[in-house]
Amino acid sequence: MGALGKPIILMVAMYAFLKFGLPNIPGSAPLPSSLIFLYLLLTAGGIFMFETVSGESKDAFWNPIQRFLTGENIGGLQALRYGVFILFPLLVGWQTYGSTAVSDLPPTESRTIHPAPPGEYTGLSNPVPKTPDNIMQGKGFYAAYCSPCHGGNFDGKGPAARGFIPAPANFADPTTIAMLQESYLFWRIKKGGVGLPIEGAPWKSAMPRWEVELPDEWIWKIILGEYDGAHQSPRTWE
Amino acid sequence: MKPANRIMKRVLRDGTAAIAAMIIGGASLGYAQESVSVRATLLTGAVPVDDPSAAVWSSAPPATFPMSPQVHWQNRIQEVTVKDVSVRALHDGTQVAVLVEYADPTQDPDDAAALEFMVGDKKAHFAHGQPMLQVEGGPVNIWFWKNKTGKAIDMSAKGFGTLKPQEHQDVTAKGVYSNGTWKVVFSRKLLTGHADEDVQITAGQFMSISFAVWDGRKDAVGELVEKGSQKAVSSWWYFRADAPPDYSGYMYAAIAAALGLGFQFVLIRKLKKGQ
Repeated sequence: MGALGKPIILMVAMYAFLKFGLPNIPGSAPLPSSLIFLYLLLTAGGIFMFETVSGESKDAFWNPIQRFLTGENIGGLQALRYGVFILFPLLVGWQTYGSTAVSDLPPTESRTIHPAPPGEYTGLSNPVPKTPDNIMQGKGFYAAYCSPCHGGNFDGKGPAARGFIPAPANFADPTTIAMLQESYLFWRIKKGGVGLPIEGAPWKSAMPRWEVELPDEWIWKIILGEYDGAHQSPRTWE
Repeated sequence: MKPANRIMKRVLRDGTAAIAAMIIGGASLGYAQESVSVRATLLTGAVPVDDPSAAVWSSAPPATFPMSPQVHWQNRIQEVTVKDVSVRALHDGTQVAVLVEYADPTQDPDDAAALEFMVGDKKAHFAHGQPMLQVEGGPVNIWFWKNKTGKAIDMSAKGFGTLKPQEHQDVTAKGVYSNGTWKVVFSRKLLTGHADEDVQITAGQFMSISFAVWDGRKDAVGELVEKGSQKAVSSWWYFRADAPPDYSGYMYAAIAAALGLGFQFVLIRKLKKGQ
């Protein structure tokens, strides 16, 4: 194995790991190509430093490259050399074209899913006692007002949900009401989509501003019903 | 062949394969795109402003958007007839036409459809630009067509209850019903002189668009099942009129390739001299 074999195998292995291996590790996700490129660049830099650390290894690393590029009588490799000479400028041109071309993708939306509520809606505790009666009433209000979008099963899959992007919150998902306080839900139900701050833009939330239709007491009961129905507990400060 | 050559050959072959894999992998990521925008294709001929069935529509890619009942504000309904709209758009640099197609089992005088755009730089809530409580939002421009009148009304709104026809009517519309499908084409000039109330469409720029549809069917007692706020709506999506083709990318690519070639030339010369 020549001095060039190992580095190239290492690069290919690294690429294969980043592209195909890493996304399969639980909890991971596919890496963007720019990040893969950066990692490969770092790997190449490391290899280069390693290979050129002594005069001997440097020669072992460079000589085959130099021979390939400028050596005489290299036989069948001659054709490959011309291939590389033609391919390199073309690759540079292609990469440049790719990075200057106008994107067809719409602007990225950096919407904050759970923006901070106004001060008066932090730390409120539910004034309605958590009794089976109140929970049942809350579930009744939920069925009437919330379930068309948020679903009879509290899963965000109500019959009216299909056209709304972002989809109505799925309360059974542990990243929704389970990580929020009752006070936060009270704010979002009361003020709805129009109560969102600028970081909640673009304002696509169809959530009604329920304060104009429902008394506060009903909203607190709905919150009890939602947590119970979705088998979640509100976040509290321990 | 010498062993060194063989090794070299293998190494280069593997290397080329790795580079090819990188390029292919990188390129395929660039095409991962959802249908989130309407693209108005640039035509050299005239835009079919009053012909929803014109053959040229097939040159515009369709984009499909799901619809929901309007639930944000009273009075609501919980079910609507139209579940999706398919949208195409064309422009010629001056005039834009947007074709909305959807399935509706019955043709009724009160069948209606509308497009909504944000106006100006301020964002607006998709529900008629309903005022936001914490931030000042902008107005919306609504192009409304009704089967009964057979024409469009150019309207403005900034919240429910503020919808009104504009003084300057710039929009035309024409609907054709056949085989259970409505095809409605809306048309206007890309730019109007009234930037405070009309959306101004600049080629190459993404803007926000949403859709509404009313099924004008009547129920058993003669009441309209969908009317006013009781309608099918979508939230915001994107709209973009294609810019004229831009060839500067090819120029930059040619310059970069020439530089690459020059670098290669200098490198080889230096290496040869070093020997």
